[in-house]
Amino acid sequence: MEPIIVVKDIRKEFKVANRHEGLCGSIRDLFFREYKVVQAVNGVSMEILPGEIVGYLGPNGAGKSTTIKMMTGILEPTSGSITVNGIVPYKNRVKNAQNIGVVFGQRTQLRWALPAIESFKLLKDMYRISDKEYKENLELLNCILGKEELLQCTVRQMSLGQRILCDIMASFLHNPSIVFLDEPTIGLDVAMKARIREMIKVLNKEKNTTVILTTHDMGDVDALCQRAVIIDKGNVLYDDSIENLRRYFGAYRALRLNLFKDISKVTQEQLEKIKNDLEEEIAKKTFQRPSITVESKEKEVCILIDEDKISTMEIINCIQEKYRIYDLSINDISTENVIKKIYAGETNEEILSID
Amino acid sequence: MKKYLALTKVGILEKLNFRGSIYINLIGNLIYLIVTYYLWKAVYMSVETGTVNGMSFYDTMIYLVLAATISMIMGSRVVWWMGMDYQSGQVGIDLLKPMNYLVYWFFFESGEYIVSIITLFIPTFCIVYVLTKGMIVLGVNIIFFVISLILSILINYFIDFIVGILCFYTQSIWGINIMKEVVVALLSGARIPLVFFPVVLRNLCKYLPFQYIYNTPLTIILSHNCKLTEYMHLLLIQIVWVIITGILAALVWKNSKKLITVNGG
Repeated sequence: MEPIIVVKDIRKEFKVANRHEGLCGSIRDLFFREYKVVQAVNGVSMEILPGEIVGYLGPNGAGKSTTIKMMTGILEPTSGSITVNGIVPYKNRVKNAQNIGVVFGQRTQLRWALPAIESFKLLKDMYRISDKEYKENLELLNCILGKEELLQCTVRQMSLGQRILCDIMASFLHNPSIVFLDEPTIGLDVAMKARIREMIKVLNKEKNTTVILTTHDMGDVDALCQRAVIIDKGNVLYDDSIENLRRYFGAYRALRLNLFKDISKVTQEQLEKIKNDLEEEIAKKTFQRPSITVESKEKEVCILIDEDKISTMEIINCIQEKYRIYDLSINDISTENVIKKIYAGETNEEILSID
Repeated sequence: MKKYLALTKVGILEKLNFRGSIYINLIGNLIYLIVTYYLWKAVYMSVETGTVNGMSFYDTMIYLVLAATISMIMGSRVVWWMGMDYQSGQVGIDLLKPMNYLVYWFFFESGEYIVSIITLFIPTFCIVYVLTKGMIVLGVNIIFFVISLILSILINYFIDFIVGILCFYTQSIWGINIMKEVVVALLSGARIPLVFFPVVLRNLCKYLPFQYIYNTPLTIILSHNCKLTEYMHLLLIQIVWVIITGILAALVWKNSKKLITVNGG
């Protein structure tokens, strides 16, 4: 399949005034101003296929929004090339705008002072949406949301969630082939988030719209994305499927064990002893020391297991021979945890500490 | 064209939404007119002939009243909107519309122009017309006036747009806009009729676009029986200025695209 977006080694530099602190500094800046060059995006490349939902992730200030602004044509990259639908966005902004939909969660494209439906009518004329298409799309959107009366509300009187719902609806109205969603779930409650995810999912399926989603909520990523691109400090750190992301540091499982009948009476020494004991025991049994770590936390024993090397069942069996297990839980390492580690720039070793 | 007219419609809807501002504008205009009336009355009391520079008290008053009303139509809203959108980063949203930025803002403003012409200019003009009892002669000049007013709005819009783009560079609006307003108000003849200016300044103004915003349409509406060629001549100069300021605005916009930074997440 031909990629719909091709980004090749784009960079964006901003010239930022180097301001001095305080009153004296400000007065000095009036006459002598120094500039420094900030590299917001530093050689990002990626290809996105039609119909994909890609999570575009990174810590605050990583350069996500800047990349999106370049892909939508409102910023020009300092170097590198972008094509979206075969169009170079910053050279052909108006033509590109016709094919894409964009939602910036912190802004709105709806007219503040008017009911949302008026903005929709404006968009209909602006993007030259035919009557039939417009009606169909409105019906589909109302079907998903079941909130026809919401469109009659004045935008500035809407709650944040309602406004973002309307904004997302608006961005899909003209059947764009690509939709960029920049933090669409920011500041929303759980129920609203679920609805917005549902809506994005349905629209992606129904219309095969490519969706590029920026978010800090890993729930969004887990619910929607098949693929994640993670950047930090303007560089791509990871670009692969979500499943692989969870296995990024190996196929880790976290095992939590309660080995005491009355947990409130357990002392730290007891725990330490058991911990050392278990470590030894497991090492003896499996000869695989590096693939697990044992820790005691909140009076429970936690074991991190690399499933590629040893199965969880083996470990449990091994423990059971010596101890009675009162309670146990096995958890996957969450996407959130992996991403947290990637952001923090931790190495393979460091992830082995369990949350 | 339909997509642009949709913007006009939304502009009208938004303006009508804030009916309070329409009333306040009317009152503000009225207060300004009362001040002007007494100021110029004092000026004319000091002369014995009753005319200054060939203009009687009533000529001056009609001129200034209509100039004030036209200036209410023009406003400097574009400068403010552009500047504020730039500061807040909302400019990103504007740029995501499948439209030329220069044309986009004009049509957004066009709704405001239409509403202010209907709610401000036409009522004021009618009142002046009735009160002055035949000092304004209406005839073919009204057609030329309408054309001239549209051209004025265009010149004014392009100048505002250029000033708005300047705000992109300075990241501040207030100072630049105040300077622009003072320069335009003075050199366009909106506050003092141009005939009152010393010859040097009047000649200078001929080579600046400002007087073609206010002076030309007012000259046309207040003229009695000019020849057709004279009207055409006035309109032609305006058209030349529309083209010059339009090209300048487009160039300034083209060159500033590279510099744009869209603020905020």
